[in-house]
Amino acid sequence: MLVSLKWLKDLVEIPVPVVELVDRLDLTGTAVESVKSAGDALDNVVVGQIIAKEQHPEADKLWVTKVDVGAGEPLQIVCGAQNFNEGDKVPVALVGATLPNGMTIKKAKLRGVESRGMNCSARELGLGEDHEGLMILPADAPVGTPFAEYLGLSDTVLELEITPNRPDCLSVVGVAREIGAVFDRAASTRASTPAETGAPVADFATVTIDEADTCPRYTARLIRNVKIGPSPAWLAERVIASGTRSISNIVDITNYVMFELGQPLHAFDADLLAKNEGGQVSIGVRTARAGEKLTTLDGAERTLAADALLITDSSGPIALAGVMGGQSTEVHGGSLNILLESACFNQGSISRTSRRLGLFSEASSRFEKGVDRTACVAALDRAAALMAELCGGEVAPGVIDAYPLPAEVRELTLRIPRLNAIIGADISAAEAGAILTRLGCAVTGSGDVLAVTIPTFRADLEREIDLIEEVLRIYGMERIVTTLPSGAGRLGELTREQRLRERIGATLRASGLNETMTYSFGDPGDTARLRDVLEEGEVLCELLNPMSAEQSVLRRTILSGLLRSVSYNQRRGVPNVHLYEIGGTFRAVDGRKQPKEHAKVAGVLAGAWHEPTWNEPAVALDLFDGKGVIEALVRELGAKRFKVRAAELPFLQPGRAAEVLVGGEVVGWLGEVHPLVLDAFEAEAPVTAFELALAPLMRAAVDAKPFTDVPRFPAVELDVAIVVPEDVTAERVEQSIVSAGGKLLDSVRLFDVYRGAGVPGGKKSMAFELAYRAADRTLTADEVESAHERLLRKVCAAVGGELRG
Amino acid sequence: MSITDQLVSLRDEGLAAIVAADDLATLDAVRIEYLGKKGSLTGILRGLGALSAEERPAAGKVSNEVRVALEEALETHRAELASAALAARIGAEAVDVTLPGRARPVGSRHLIEQIRAEIVEIFLGLGYRIAEGPEVELDYYNFTALNTPPDHPARSLADTFYVRDLSGEEAAVTGESDVLLRTHTSPVQVRVMEKEAPPIYILAPGRVYRRDIADPSHLPQFTQVEGLVVDEGITFGDLKGTLDHVCKAIFGPDRRIRFRPHFFPFTEPSAEVDVSCGICAGSGCRFCKGTGWLEILGSGMVDPNVFGYVGIDSERYSGFAFGMGVERIAALKYNIPDLRMLLEGDMRFLRQF
Repeated sequence: MLVSLKWLKDLVEIPVPVVELVDRLDLTGTAVESVKSAGDALDNVVVGQIIAKEQHPEADKLWVTKVDVGAGEPLQIVCGAQNFNEGDKVPVALVGATLPNGMTIKKAKLRGVESRGMNCSARELGLGEDHEGLMILPADAPVGTPFAEYLGLSDTVLELEITPNRPDCLSVVGVAREIGAVFDRAASTRASTPAETGAPVADFATVTIDEADTCPRYTARLIRNVKIGPSPAWLAERVIASGTRSISNIVDITNYVMFELGQPLHAFDADLLAKNEGGQVSIGVRTARAGEKLTTLDGAERTLAADALLITDSSGPIALAGVMGGQSTEVHGGSLNILLESACFNQGSISRTSRRLGLFSEASSRFEKGVDRTACVAALDRAAALMAELCGGEVAPGVIDAYPLPAEVRELTLRIPRLNAIIGADISAAEAGAILTRLGCAVTGSGDVLAVTIPTFRADLEREIDLIEEVLRIYGMERIVTTLPSGAGRLGELTREQRLRERIGATLRASGLNETMTYSFGDPGDTARLRDVLEEGEVLCELLNPMSAEQSVLRRTILSGLLRSVSYNQRRGVPNVHLYEIGGTFRAVDGRKQPKEHAKVAGVLAGAWHEPTWNEPAVALDLFDGKGVIEALVRELGAKRFKVRAAELPFLQPGRAAEVLVGGEVVGWLGEVHPLVLDAFEAEAPVTAFELALAPLMRAAVDAKPFTDVPRFPAVELDVAIVVPEDVTAERVEQSIVSAGGKLLDSVRLFDVYRGAGVPGGKKSMAFELAYRAADRTLTADEVESAHERLLRKVCAAVGGELRG
Repeated sequence: MSITDQLVSLRDEGLAAIVAADDLATLDAVRIEYLGKKGSLTGILRGLGALSAEERPAAGKVSNEVRVALEEALETHRAELASAALAARIGAEAVDVTLPGRARPVGSRHLIEQIRAEIVEIFLGLGYRIAEGPEVELDYYNFTALNTPPDHPARSLADTFYVRDLSGEEAAVTGESDVLLRTHTSPVQVRVMEKEAPPIYILAPGRVYRRDIADPSHLPQFTQVEGLVVDEGITFGDLKGTLDHVCKAIFGPDRRIRFRPHFFPFTEPSAEVDVSCGICAGSGCRFCKGTGWLEILGSGMVDPNVFGYVGIDSERYSGFAFGMGVERIAALKYNIPDLRMLLEGDMRFLRQF
């Protein structure tokens, strides 16, 4: 909220300079977001005098003027207004000025004649609606003076962040009261009693409220015979400083009183209100009927939701209560009689209506946070008195006051030991009481318990804890001594899953993968891009209000995000990509409220581990680099029953795709991404990827790996090459070696796979190094030989292989 | 020639041959030629048996001297040659140590995860446990149980992502669905308080989501770390002390913090916390918009209404809670100009940390 410092100083003594005021407000809960000079919007606008006026040679309606702006040569300015003469003083926007309507003044040629500035109307300067001609200034206006200074607009404006619990500070009086409490100064309020004349308002109109809940109070006054016109400078200045435009005296007064007291007001043209058979206006407050329509002030015809709150007369809706007036009863230049409304509406109803219609106004934002309904009439009186004073209005005797739900006076107790227990201080009852008194509370009692009567403008103070907060913030948070919780011994430690997740990440980094983070959102088209289909009963986990179509569902796999990152890097000339991410994936099923979240670890490898170097060529990464990463991970976790078996997965290239099993269950997949999938993600082949579910991986992990003795006797190592048909897998050959090897076979290592000369077509030769060892002795040559021969016989028979010569 | 003369001449020849040998193999050949089983000295010594008893001791003595002389010369020269050979090998094997090392692929940790882990570490030291919960949450845990009124703007479709509710149940609060992407990790706190009795000391890090357009200073998905303490006798002073410790641990011991009263539905009293600007040390600069302070977290004493929702006696227990955005800390500490870099997976960015 914008607040003029001048205005504040009218209401309360501020005993410190602005810088300190800002600090104190920050530290007591009213954050100051900016401090601005009010005249800023009129920078580079000065008072000028027209010293020559000649017809534009090319245009009938344009004038070429010479304007004295108090410095240097008079400026030549082309001007379209007709209402001025030589010698008049006008506001002149110099080249470089940016006017309140956003227009920036530049040197220009108009119909061939150079123009160096602009002579301004009131509207162009945000000072009123008048744009009939130039704003003619009094003859004594000093030429060359900055216009803001001339108008007395040089003021400091504070932009305050008012938290939602403090609607009482959405007014100058409220902020003055808050400043008064902070500095222990009394703030004054603004009350007026208008002189009344003519027939009483009760003769003119009545008010009926359908449901007390929707409108706890509705008050109105009638002001007759007003003259609508521009506002006096002081009024225009204040509404401008508050961040709005000056429109007319009547509208400015309603805004002024709202800014001053926090109570929104609405002015109806009383002559445009429908009269009932008895010749009276019957104002009603009720909720809309389904499909009911109203054309609002902005000219839009709005179809209203069933719970929108309406002000009606006997002809139908005339205003959207608290949000926006209706066009049919709007005050206009010729309005004579004004019915002025000051009411309190249900907060939730106003909030829903303004959000539904996207209409947010100074009024609606105050109503939705809550206004003090005990002060409705005071605002009405204040505005009526100003209308009498500034618009020549005659205030009809009496106030219409429908008040079905009177405000209750709230009494709270504050236990001083409780106060100190919560904030960790030693504040006395007297000090706490004094702070609450400064805030407008009536405090009685002493000792350990205070009885506190809450002022009506502080509806947010409902509980003892609210009082504790008030005492703390005025006392000063900076005065509270810092301590650490002293509770009995407690242990900070990670759970097994948290520790394992750290270890999985660390192992992947040690294997060369870089951790990344991608969006949990996905594109509904990603499933098709991955050539995948949803599982039986599965549906996409859909956002109801996504930011964009590309991010309108939650991801089913981390792969899609990682492929986007691969593409991102490749398109920027970074071919070597090694990424992993640990994060959630989401599976939604029809009939289940929330999707299942699965923590996964996924990785991608593209390019090579590194660029070619002087001593090492770059080796293209493939499936076996991914497998190596997973093998390292499984070894680090000590997980048993690890197996990688060929599988068909829609997003992986056939023949280079596998399932990963750990602990006997499938935990994920590994392979080279299908070329068509890479095309869809605009990534270049080959890309190796894997994704593993964390839960089964962690279940299979061993917390303490078992110890086996380090061998003390030497091994005998023998190499053997076995020629087998192509479809016999390495795993099968190795398994048959292990099962044929008996107790003496210590280890098997595949060190070569060979096809070509010497090996028949359709076959391959696999070379293994076998190590024989006994735990308790050195083996003899005979022992090894007979074991080896037996092994070879069995293996060849089992896998249909033969020894390579 | 007398046998003695023969021995002397053999010695002189032998010594010359030893000195002339310029590698170990030649030297070994020399050794065999003179001292081997069929060597010259051996041959002469065999002739000693033919000498008279008078001559024999003198010749024996001389022959022994010759053998010792040859052996010593052989050993000396062998050592010389071995040392020269080693020196030659070493010379040949010298490399340019400024050549780059053989590349080892070692991955880096994502900046956000690095900071998250750092904060987790700090709180483990303070005796906190790490709590986690679902990212797709229910309105009840994200808002209602955190004392957020039904009409609160944070609940609006403009601020919070809602997820289609597939159960067919009617939304109990606002809009079409009570299922949403959590906007903070506070629902984890509620879930912990529902399940466990105080004392509770937990930290809840995790991904959260808000409807912000991705731009240099906003992301619709970011990382939060929230803390919760519930115990007997917990005070606002404890909150101050804890956050003071944490901010100094994250940003450095010279930084100051200040508390500004604020409003959050789930805490009361509530405060925003600023840390003094690291660029200008608090005197005001462009980085801190002239204030000398950078806002980094929200905090407060747990609102008694929140205790009411989870059935904790607010007369017996009190507590504090706080929350901070890890991306914001990253931006402040590392001067990251555009938060979107954190989600792009650009290797050139990731490899820096």
